Amino acid sequence: MRRRVVITGMGVITPLGHSPAELFASVVAGRTAVAPIAHFDARTFPTTFASQVSGFDLAKYLPDAAKFRNCGVNTKYALAAAKQALADAGLLEIKGDRSRMGVYLGSGEGQENFEALTTSIAKATPAGERTANYHAAAALLFVRLNGPQEAEAEMYAPSGYLADTFGLDGPFASCQTACAASSQAIGEAGEMIRTGEADVMLAGGSHSMITPTGITGFNRLTALSQRNDSPATASRPFDLTRDGFVIGEGAGLVVLEELEHAKARGATIIAELTGYGSTADAFRMTDPHPEGKGAIRCMANALADAGLNAADIGYINAHGTSTQANDAAETAAIKAVFGAHAYKVPVSSSKSMLGHLIAAAGVAELVISVMAIQKGVIPPTINLETPDPACDLDYVPHQAREVRFRHALSNSFGFGGQNIALVASAFKG
Amino acid sequence: MVSNPRRTVLTGFGVLSPIGSTPEAFWDALVAGACGVRTISLFDASVLPCHIAGEVPGFSAKAMIDKANRRSLNAMARTVELGVIGSQLAMQSAGIAKGTIPPDRIGVEFASLMGATELNDMAAASKAAAPDGDTVSYAAWGAAGLSEITPLWMLKYLPNMPACHTTIFYDIQGPSNTQIPGDTSGLVALFEAARILRRGAADVMVVGGSEARLNPITLSRHNLFVQLSKRNDDPTHAVRPFDAARDGTVLGEGSAVFALEELDHARNRNATILGELAGWAAGVDRGKKGPGLARVIRNALASAGIQPSDVDHVNAHGTGTTAGDAFEARGIAEVFGRDVPVFAPLSRFGNLGAASGLMELACSVLALKNGLLPGTLNHEAPAPDCPVTVHAGAPRPTTKPFAVKVTYTDLGQCAAAVVKRWDS
Repeated sequence: MRRRVVITGMGVITPLGHSPAELFASVVAGRTAVAPIAHFDARTFPTTFASQVSGFDLAKYLPDAAKFRNCGVNTKYALAAAKQALADAGLLEIKGDRSRMGVYLGSGEGQENFEALTTSIAKATPAGERTANYHAAAALLFVRLNGPQEAEAEMYAPSGYLADTFGLDGPFASCQTACAASSQAIGEAGEMIRTGEADVMLAGGSHSMITPTGITGFNRLTALSQRNDSPATASRPFDLTRDGFVIGEGAGLVVLEELEHAKARGATIIAELTGYGSTADAFRMTDPHPEGKGAIRCMANALADAGLNAADIGYINAHGTSTQANDAAETAAIKAVFGAHAYKVPVSSSKSMLGHLIAAAGVAELVISVMAIQKGVIPPTINLETPDPACDLDYVPHQAREVRFRHALSNSFGFGGQNIALVASAFKG
Repeated sequence: MVSNPRRTVLTGFGVLSPIGSTPEAFWDALVAGACGVRTISLFDASVLPCHIAGEVPGFSAKAMIDKANRRSLNAMARTVELGVIGSQLAMQSAGIAKGTIPPDRIGVEFASLMGATELNDMAAASKAAAPDGDTVSYAAWGAAGLSEITPLWMLKYLPNMPACHTTIFYDIQGPSNTQIPGDTSGLVALFEAARILRRGAADVMVVGGSEARLNPITLSRHNLFVQLSKRNDDPTHAVRPFDAARDGTVLGEGSAVFALEELDHARNRNATILGELAGWAAGVDRGKKGPGLARVIRNALASAGIQPSDVDHVNAHGTGTTAGDAFEARGIAEVFGRDVPVFAPLSRFGNLGAASGLMELACSVLALKNGLLPGTLNHEAPAPDCPVTVHAGAPRPTTKPFAVKVTYTDLGQCAAAVVKRWDS
């Protein structure tokens, strides 16, 4: 029989709370933290707002926080979320062999030294020209970049520090599949437990792209909402007037554990990870397949993996980015998979409140889905005011809803066509 | 490890490397003892303390790419170009044409890191935001700089782009993932691909690693925090794995892409089998002490069901750094003592980062296949702090069917793969 994977701990650092309980209370209340960008002066950018983490201090979580001063926020958020999750699971103080406990982190690029990059390139570019002297630029970069910070910007650092700090000596991986990364990390980490390579995996994601280059990149792709006069209503998944996603930041980690291992140590079982599906669109870099071809198969695969029928799913936490393309394609895909049940199952987008945490989006949304099962409350989709004929499902508009259910499906679709669906279920022994 | 798993074999190999960009040329260079480390020619890097590296000579994606995909080159940095051309070569090598495998039965696992921006992509924008070249105005960037950035800029550099382009070019609709844990990325990608095949979620996985590192940003950065060799005047002798006179590594670039396939599927289509991935393990050696790496190697041997005495050679990362080689040698020695020879190919092409794991692995796959183990270049005076026996000098016949590939990151994340010679 297949080894079963349960969730025994959860931790988050998000714009809407620095614990799963705070995050869930915020989304049930329909709150949002979208506000003008505070991390740098973005007042002249096409998009001037974001969903930002505030009041974060790593020293609240780690006594040796100073050791991480040169690290990017992706590492710092991950460490704080990991501490919560491992404490929640009762795994911080386990002595002895830790070689069957591992890490799988979905994350993105490290911190970027925008000032050193732009000034060096500018100085190496003669007046009136559009090409830089690379020799001159290299000389300037070598002087202006900060060595210790650059070392911490290496992409193995966030996952490496999780293992190093919390003594997770077992298998590791770290993936970057844009908006699907943390869901993919959780799904594949679950597979590592199923195969027996590990008994415990700390899995999730961490990311911040609220940087000059991050906003520039997404603005040039016209992916971000530019509703600068009303940031709080800018993320409006499934609404006819949606104009792009709202960028967020944060981290989330869950402790995945093999069922018998969890039972043997008397762990509290929060939920079971029952299903995982992973597919590629093979369509276009910038757009999802309009009929959700890949999304359909990944949801169907996740249901089959969980041994469930569509009608067993009581809640869908949508990817729901608030872009025209995603929300229509995702709706079409849900209809294709769920048939008549598509109109009965509540579907909501946490991104309407939380914004899009990119590589950390999927894990935050899984945590919300798991708590929705636990509490019997489905968080709403806010800002859904103007119906879109292409989006005609029950998106739980405006108000949270009390519903008892056992199985939730959470979607994450990444730029470039990577599709992930996870199924979380109430634990039944 | 699950019992009676589906077996995973290598059925295609594409390579773009400093010492050869066909499997045959790559192998011939290994046997001949060729070295691809040279003064960097992609730009004038002479101002940097280390300005030698392993460059892929004459690489042109435009010249190599299938005509049908040529338009996509507009949105690819060199890292992505190396990756997708590597995929193209691997698919040709495997004899898999687009559409010949059901799209949902083939997937992709890539190892690739964030590419550095091409300086000229940011030149006009930077000039607008920092006209004096000393201070940048965010307001000026937003108002006048940002619009100078090409719309698809971000997509040129994201790590997952080699995988995504590969799925689109070949209508690959199975799982697609991209690994980023530094030098271990390639092996971690390989392990996940094998897991996907074993659980039956696909029959073929394109597994690749690519990275272009010889640009002003990546090279400047690494000159700041990596121990790089000072032997600019003698590039071919610069990287000295496990040698007493080692003084650092050099960077390299390239792409190594395999087709990894479930055995019965490969047999049914009469694929040429290059070798088998027989086992693997990953784990962390906190503080890079040695015992953690040894545990990972033992776990990999156990997952393949073999003993240290079954191993022909250990293929080490062997970066030529003072601390790195000493750590790696301690870990290897704890499992194998001095009995099993260590082979380190990195001195021939530099540290390829995300591409390093699979490029280095390829050397052992080819060695087992051809029955000949090339020597480790520039290992002349065994280092007292590296208690291993390094195979240097002329190639020697392989004597046993297995090789173990080892690699690690600076935070002690270690990976070990066991590959087996294929006897048909």
